[in-house]
Amino acid sequence: MNAHVREISVALALGLILLALAIFADSFYQPQPLLSLVTGQAPALIVTCGVALVMIARQIDISIGSQMAVCSVCTGLLAAANWPLGLVLIAAIGLGALLGAINGLFVAVLRLPSIVVTLATMVTWREALRWQRQGAFVNLPDGLQWFGMSQTHGQLTIVISALVVLFLLGLSTRHLAAGRFIYAVGSDVEAARLAGIRPQLVTFLVFVGMGALTGLAATLHIVQSPQVDPNSGTGLELKAIAAAVVGGVAISGGRGNLWAVFLGFLLLACVSPALIHLHIEAYWERAIAGAIILAAILADGLEKQTARFSHPRTPSVANG
Amino acid sequence: MKLITTLLLLTAVLFAGCNRSSEMGTGAPSSQKKITIALLPKSKGNAYFISCKKGAERAAKELEVDLLFDGPTDPDPAKQNEIVENWIALGVDAIAAACENQEGISTALRKARSKGIKVITYDSDAAPDARAFFVNQATPEGIGFALMDEAARQMGEEGEFAIITASLTAANMNQWQKYIEARRSDRYPRIKMVALRPCDDLKDRAQAEATALLSANPNLKLIMAICSPAVPGAAEAVKQAGKTGQVEVIGLGLPSENRRYVKEGVTQTVILWKTEDLGYLTVYAAQALARGTLNPADHAFKAGMLGEFQIQGDNILLGKPFLFNKTNIDQFDF
Amino acid sequence: MDKTVHADNSSRKGWFLNSPWLRHESLLLLILVLEWLYFNSVGPRFGTLENTYDILRHSSEIGLLALALTPVILTGGIDLSVGSLLGLCAILFGKLWRDAHLPVWEAAAAALGFGAAGGAVNAWFITKLRLPPLIVTLGTLSLFRGLAEAVTHGVDTFTGFPGSFLALGQGQIFGLPAQLPLLFVGAVVIWLMVHSTVLGRSWRAIGFAAEGARYAGIPVGRRVALVYVLAGIISGLAAVIYTARLGQAKADAGTGYELFAITAVVLGGTSIFGGIGSVHGTLLGVAAIAVLSNGLVHARQPREVAGMLTGALLLIALAASVLAKNLANNRRR
Repeated sequence: MNAHVREISVALALGLILLALAIFADSFYQPQPLLSLVTGQAPALIVTCGVALVMIARQIDISIGSQMAVCSVCTGLLAAANWPLGLVLIAAIGLGALLGAINGLFVAVLRLPSIVVTLATMVTWREALRWQRQGAFVNLPDGLQWFGMSQTHGQLTIVISALVVLFLLGLSTRHLAAGRFIYAVGSDVEAARLAGIRPQLVTFLVFVGMGALTGLAATLHIVQSPQVDPNSGTGLELKAIAAAVVGGVAISGGRGNLWAVFLGFLLLACVSPALIHLHIEAYWERAIAGAIILAAILADGLEKQTARFSHPRTPSVANG
Repeated sequence: MKLITTLLLLTAVLFAGCNRSSEMGTGAPSSQKKITIALLPKSKGNAYFISCKKGAERAAKELEVDLLFDGPTDPDPAKQNEIVENWIALGVDAIAAACENQEGISTALRKARSKGIKVITYDSDAAPDARAFFVNQATPEGIGFALMDEAARQMGEEGEFAIITASLTAANMNQWQKYIEARRSDRYPRIKMVALRPCDDLKDRAQAEATALLSANPNLKLIMAICSPAVPGAAEAVKQAGKTGQVEVIGLGLPSENRRYVKEGVTQTVILWKTEDLGYLTVYAAQALARGTLNPADHAFKAGMLGEFQIQGDNILLGKPFLFNKTNIDQFDF
Repeated sequence: MDKTVHADNSSRKGWFLNSPWLRHESLLLLILVLEWLYFNSVGPRFGTLENTYDILRHSSEIGLLALALTPVILTGGIDLSVGSLLGLCAILFGKLWRDAHLPVWEAAAAALGFGAAGGAVNAWFITKLRLPPLIVTLGTLSLFRGLAEAVTHGVDTFTGFPGSFLALGQGQIFGLPAQLPLLFVGAVVIWLMVHSTVLGRSWRAIGFAAEGARYAGIPVGRRVALVYVLAGIISGLAAVIYTARLGQAKADAGTGYELFAITAVVLGGTSIFGGIGSVHGTLLGVAAIAVLSNGLVHARQPREVAGMLTGALLLIALAASVLAKNLANNRRR
């Protein structure tokens, strides 16, 4: 029961919002707009999964917004130069992986704290991109939108891709040894080392993976519209980390599962459209999101307290 | 202790080295020295201000003045003040500022004036005593009324519309909203504004907001996007929702970003003005002020190749807002 | 120091790497001096007293926040909400002055109180519920900014403050910028707290090993709570100075300041894991970033370059620190 408290409470909160929408604003449930909404959120979901893994490995990555912007713009430029779509996708993932590797180098090899490293790379990439683009949009070639398919097919492809990524990552963290290594490194580095795992390598690869996922997300993002905004991705890191936190991922590492993160993501993602459909003023949005995050944090704390009192000598169990 | 002594010694050395006080005043420049004009946009990465800069650079080349262009790259509202103060220390001859925070930046601009630097504003004004002239492409009133009038024309003077803005705190957009609302309640009582949503100046966020607005308000007739990334964002949302023609899109934006939507009939009108001309006029005015050829009592001002401009009080008028639509949008490339 | 324990120090190879000359703060001082010399040569107006005052004025709020964050990071914690708290205190201050008609200095004192309250919220989550500071302050970052937007509906701006108040941010005392005495006092107080009191020592101990500190009898909960409340009060003070400097209070005041402050603290040699660090390091970090940013304007470089260089500087400084320490450790073996 304890193991699933977080999933249940988030699902409950999500259910409440969806119920409120069903009663007061059932216009939310029209299929076409709902699909558009979900498609728009799909890239962010992929990034959130990546950041959840980073956090489980006891690190953090706040440069993902800037990575997203750089990958989106570069991918757009390549597409505008008439590269074939397959190559564009590979280039995007490769570029993201490279950016992630830079983070990984400083964190895993030089053992610098990840919050500082990713803070530095976040600022550096963002400013460099601004300097280069000067705010200009990138115009994409006509056949690129929706991968050249019809809108509905394209949207479904994007949504399904994101869900497949979620599914694969969720399964591999549970069943693949490599996935469990992430939890091991996040829980106790020394124990992991003694068990024969190479923590530095695992950490490095987690950052590379994060970057690759961002590259993939960037591609799914740019095919949704005919122009690329170089400011895209602003605020993405906060959004993704908040979703992971609400989904029960602990910043101290070693805990969390991607299904709960998915629920947390959905919960936070529907705040904005819910406010629009319920005709609530926009200036409440940030306060509400902050309150949800704090509620999740509060729940974490209370859970810890009760665990301490009822099982004083049980070590914390790695969830998921 | 060693560290502290070193620190103190170094500080003493540095202070001794920096006793050069600002010798030359920044007042009337000698005729041989090149004039430096500093142009401040609201934010540096904004395509609108980049196109102003293009016109400004053209003017600077014609007039043979040095042009400094710098602006905030992050949302910190205090950055504009800092930049102006840096320019004061640098000793520029004239500052032309587009003001994000009217009251806040006036503080710095007044300081610049007190040091003999000439100050004009363009695009968004500061407090009147903080600058000599305001190069006015359109008053907030003019913009607000033009937007509302155009919206009303598209909507047949009745129905619901929604506004997408950049952020709830952006000063100029709040001003426009004030006049939009004033015009609406005054002349179009049968039109209702049903929602005001911020998009954080991001095209994709505007698209998501517009999508939700469209499904939440089935009777919506028009989306008014008053921040420039939001215009193509809203248009894309309308297109993807299949509501082209059913829900109109108008806004303040750049022709180049909206050309495809205007041609496809998704966006009806894009309101703006000739931004390059704005930059050009601004630099000419700043230079004239620095040289002393532009005075407070003047009624007209000639700016190079653009000809004569009217001066109303302390406002140099660029002209009225320009409506870009299907018929004329191809003539412009900014 | 006991010479027999440190016998290796006297050997030639070990001397340089273990000496105080290679400490982080010294390296930073060197960087600062190099920056100053370079910009002095490139920009004729850079070295003037007037420009120096500008640098001081522009960095006073971030400097205060960096000072506030130093004890926080020393205890192994972090506070991402200081910028948002600055914004919230600024508009509450404006509201009290304009709508509740409080005299301006009383409203300013109240702003400090609001800051303390905000810090107390963080402190409660962190010490009573034992939650990670990064996550708590991530939440309060949104919450405080959201409250500021909700109170003002985003739109409301408070201006028209009396001249005597504005002089705090814009005026001069004995020819120096008016904020300088406050900044100086703040720096001295924090320096004393961190370096000369038992309190400061306990903060370091908590940063090194919280459980160990607890067993040593240090009231960890209270000491940690204090740093967050202190950070909150200083955020309130920074909010007042900010409003005085700009002449207006808006809900978006202080956006992004926390990241600059953290950069300065870490650049100054304070370890993000806690236990190691100094206030003079923080001040040097603030100075290095402020001088870099200001100097690049005089060198006629675009603003983005300042951001990129700051990021690069942070990485290089940290990497150099780690490499030097590794080298020293290897030599000692």
